[in-house]
Amino acid sequence: MTTDLATPVDRPPGESKPTAPRPARRRSSTRTKLELALFLGPALVLFVGFVLVPIGIAVYYSLYDWNGFGPISDFVGIKNYKDALSGNVFQGAIGHNVIIALLSLVVQLPLSIGLALLLNRKLRGRGFLRVIVFAPYVLSEAITAVIWLLMLQPNGFADQFLRAVGLGGVIEQWLANPKVVLYTLFVVITWKYIGFGIILLLAGLQGIPAELREAAALDGASAWQTTWHIVVPLLGPTIRIWIFLSVIGSLQLFDLVWIMTLGGPANATTTMASYMIDHGFKRYEFGYGSAVAVVLFAVCFVFALLYQRFALRRDTAGALTRMAG
Amino acid sequence: MSTVATIAAPRARKRSTGTAITYVVALVIIAVTVVPLLFVIVGGFRTTAQINSDPAGLPSPWVWDNYRIILGSSQFWRFLGNSALIAVIATVLAVGFGSMAAFALSRYTFKGRDSIYTLFTLGLLFPLTVATLPLYLWLRQLGLLESPLGVAIPEAAFSLPVTIVILRPFMHAIPGEIEDAAVLDGATRVGFFWRILLPLSMPALTTVAVLAFVTSWNGYLLPLLVFNDSQHFTLPLGVATFQSQYSQDTARVLAFTALSMIPALGFFMLAERRIVGGLTGSVKG
Amino acid sequence: MRITRKTCAIAVAAAMALSVTACGGDDTPAASAPPSGPVTLTWWHNGTTDPLNTLWQQLADEYHAAHPDVSFKIEPIQNEQFPTKVPLALQSSTPPDIYQQWGGGQEAGQITSGKVADLSSVAPWAEQLGLAAPGWQVDGKQYGVPFIQHVVGFWYRKDLFTQAGITAAPTTMDELTTAITKLKGAGLAPIAVGGKDRWPDAFYWGYFATRECSTDVLKAASKTVKLDDPCWTRAGQDLKNFLALNPFQPGFVGTPAQQGAGSSAGMVANGQAAMELQGDWEPGTMSALTTDKDLKSKLGWFPFPAVAGGAGDPGVVLGGGDGFSCTTRAAAACGEFLKYLVSTPVQNRLAASGAGLPVNPASAPSLTDETLKKVFDQGHKATYIQSYFDVAWPTAVGQALNDAVANFFAGQGTPDSIVQAVNQAAAGNK
Repeated sequence: MTTDLATPVDRPPGESKPTAPRPARRRSSTRTKLELALFLGPALVLFVGFVLVPIGIAVYYSLYDWNGFGPISDFVGIKNYKDALSGNVFQGAIGHNVIIALLSLVVQLPLSIGLALLLNRKLRGRGFLRVIVFAPYVLSEAITAVIWLLMLQPNGFADQFLRAVGLGGVIEQWLANPKVVLYTLFVVITWKYIGFGIILLLAGLQGIPAELREAAALDGASAWQTTWHIVVPLLGPTIRIWIFLSVIGSLQLFDLVWIMTLGGPANATTTMASYMIDHGFKRYEFGYGSAVAVVLFAVCFVFALLYQRFALRRDTAGALTRMAG
Repeated sequence: MSTVATIAAPRARKRSTGTAITYVVALVIIAVTVVPLLFVIVGGFRTTAQINSDPAGLPSPWVWDNYRIILGSSQFWRFLGNSALIAVIATVLAVGFGSMAAFALSRYTFKGRDSIYTLFTLGLLFPLTVATLPLYLWLRQLGLLESPLGVAIPEAAFSLPVTIVILRPFMHAIPGEIEDAAVLDGATRVGFFWRILLPLSMPALTTVAVLAFVTSWNGYLLPLLVFNDSQHFTLPLGVATFQSQYSQDTARVLAFTALSMIPALGFFMLAERRIVGGLTGSVKG
Repeated sequence: MRITRKTCAIAVAAAMALSVTACGGDDTPAASAPPSGPVTLTWWHNGTTDPLNTLWQQLADEYHAAHPDVSFKIEPIQNEQFPTKVPLALQSSTPPDIYQQWGGGQEAGQITSGKVADLSSVAPWAEQLGLAAPGWQVDGKQYGVPFIQHVVGFWYRKDLFTQAGITAAPTTMDELTTAITKLKGAGLAPIAVGGKDRWPDAFYWGYFATRECSTDVLKAASKTVKLDDPCWTRAGQDLKNFLALNPFQPGFVGTPAQQGAGSSAGMVANGQAAMELQGDWEPGTMSALTTDKDLKSKLGWFPFPAVAGGAGDPGVVLGGGDGFSCTTRAAAACGEFLKYLVSTPVQNRLAASGAGLPVNPASAPSLTDETLKKVFDQGHKATYIQSYFDVAWPTAVGQALNDAVANFFAGQGTPDSIVQAVNQAAAGNK
């Protein structure tokens, strides 16, 4: 028991006992290469063929002015990029994405962890609860938007409810007030994606042996202390994945925004992706839209690189540091 | 047992208030989550005109037509079948190939491992919508238009990044001792993967399976590109049959949606038990 | 690192190879002689629901019975999907033979694919379609044929007008202003507008533009979008004055136009607002949004009022239409079918079904609703039909206009900035 605890689960396999000889490792390197090809091959082929190749072509479009109909002939180089980055609507869009990303870290993360811990306990009807909490994630974006649009109308369900519980003074024009609308959208996003965080964190919680908690309880720790000092740190790797996927998701936010506000009113809820569709594809400017997509990609890429270097380093045993060094 | 009971006794009161708070919080969460969902389900029992004159009200009268007509139409079941076929293929491909790749990326060390991992994460960083035109042209060249594979294969490809990003740390965390023990018992790496690692990774595998399934189930853009013939439509495309140029038969759409959610939720319910199963008991000694 | 570079290289090479083959390789130039003998026409229309769904099927069946050589493969496509699917289809070597489009700048863009057939020689369209024809021509050639036309005007609730003490529909801006004041006094939202969707906002600017700008200036702008004339800025100024009256419902910038109870159409349908500036489709949209069975009898219509001092002809209406284009593969057979669709018997059925206003003037009597007849007459006696600008102008420019006007409605920008936004977009700037 104690030796197991001394080997924290996020250390790479095989590195904890440097002294023991490893007869199994004397495998021919051809064999290993074949195994690698077998395991990595299918995924790589699928991925390169159906994701990277279309992306590559889209990048190619970004250097042109093209309306999607005739031949691609109007080469404009980096003009599309310059136009995108210098426009204040796009700059505003980037700002909105950042706000949503930060809010998701500050609001959704604690909420998800709390809910996951809750749903991990032996509650009556726990399975049913999990289905309920996950259901919004299953609902399509289009319907989510339709329902919330219905509920958020002036004097709609949301307003009626707030008045009923005495919070009438809080009521705003949820979707019409440019100062409020972004946060309204954030509430809808939280409602929709909380299930995703919970399912991920639940899976992570399964990796934490119950014995650890029992041992802590026997040692006199309260439930709160156990949670804060043992469970949450052990949940670390999962939380870090959640953060990664959540920030990327925030940066790529499109569907809900598009259906609920079209990026309005007056560009108050534009996101990089909604701008891409609105000013690019909807205007039949495929080259420009592709350029905006590449910019969006670059923003995500920078975040991903930095995040992997600094936050995920422990979880992948120095992966990118070795690459960078 | 009795000593444990006496030690536990002073804590009992604290635990019960803790449990009570837990239940209250749980109730609040259910309420917030469920109300919009009820909107969808109950909305299917109203007419569009009812919904529009009184959005928050209950059906008056209760209208069975929407659900009845949808359940009775062969179109709905065909859409359902198409969606299911595509979702299953996409999930199997994504989880199958993804778990193999995650295995390679987490338990082998080789030059370029991190570059390949980064390559996979690139797929997360690029919005699918912008790749639609090139993807369409590519699928057309491959002759995959109007085929379920034309949707399932790209969907699987786009699910690979999330799958690998989630699976890799989970697979990485399985202690090396288990692998060494298996090898000592004469298992090959492949055998280890199939017989030991995969079962141990069940919570994570189920998670990525559910995510891939739901993503495919709600996928709209790819089926839109690939299918013109309505016989091939998936459920999200099928909603369009209730939408005219100027308006939407909201009640019918809500009924349709409520019914569409059932298979995906059902899949989650089946999977949810597996997410609980997991590692408990396997890490000991 | 080696692996990454190799993968990158493969990706780039594949991309280059694909782009060369995919975009231009297998497209044949404009088709030569059409195939004689049996032909199956693939037909994309947006009639996913009735009445058009059934009507189109019936018409196809009847045409096939009369012309056994011509069969149809009908694929109803949801309206919002057309902007995505049509460019893709026109990229492929097998686009649909008949597809729906809305004329103007969108059509002009589609022509550049080289796959859309010139139908000028198929029928004397200008005779048959009258004022509707020019909106579907590019460089004087008929590339599209409308089957219904649209006219935009003010729909209003007669009962709410009476309630507010308004006795007659306004004919001038002053009268409209008075009506707005009276409605506010009666506690009603005078006008509903779907600000979220942006194009309803653009109707206002569009109409003010037709009231301020002479018909020549309007026509010139449809050829080349360059708004030099001061009348365009005056239109924005008129709009500014109008907005200063606060005529709209609370939160109008977030209201959708047609979806749901809270939409502008829903508000008028349920008696929460008294007027809406919309097209002839409005009654159809509204009836789905309310349980009120008597709605049609409560609705009236008046044309956009005259603006004092404007150089524009008050007889000009803002309008549009729905139409079809033929692709080159089966252009002759398709053209003949479109001729059939604008013939009087078919147009009578279209008008009677409530699908919209017929383009064939002979079919006007088949309209069942009195108010719709009034709308039709306004369009029929118009001196010029200006297509709504987001359709008349190239798509990018039209969208830029909608965005600029919507921002203006939300308090951003000036009458000048709207004109500038349009000119910038027309010049190719983003």
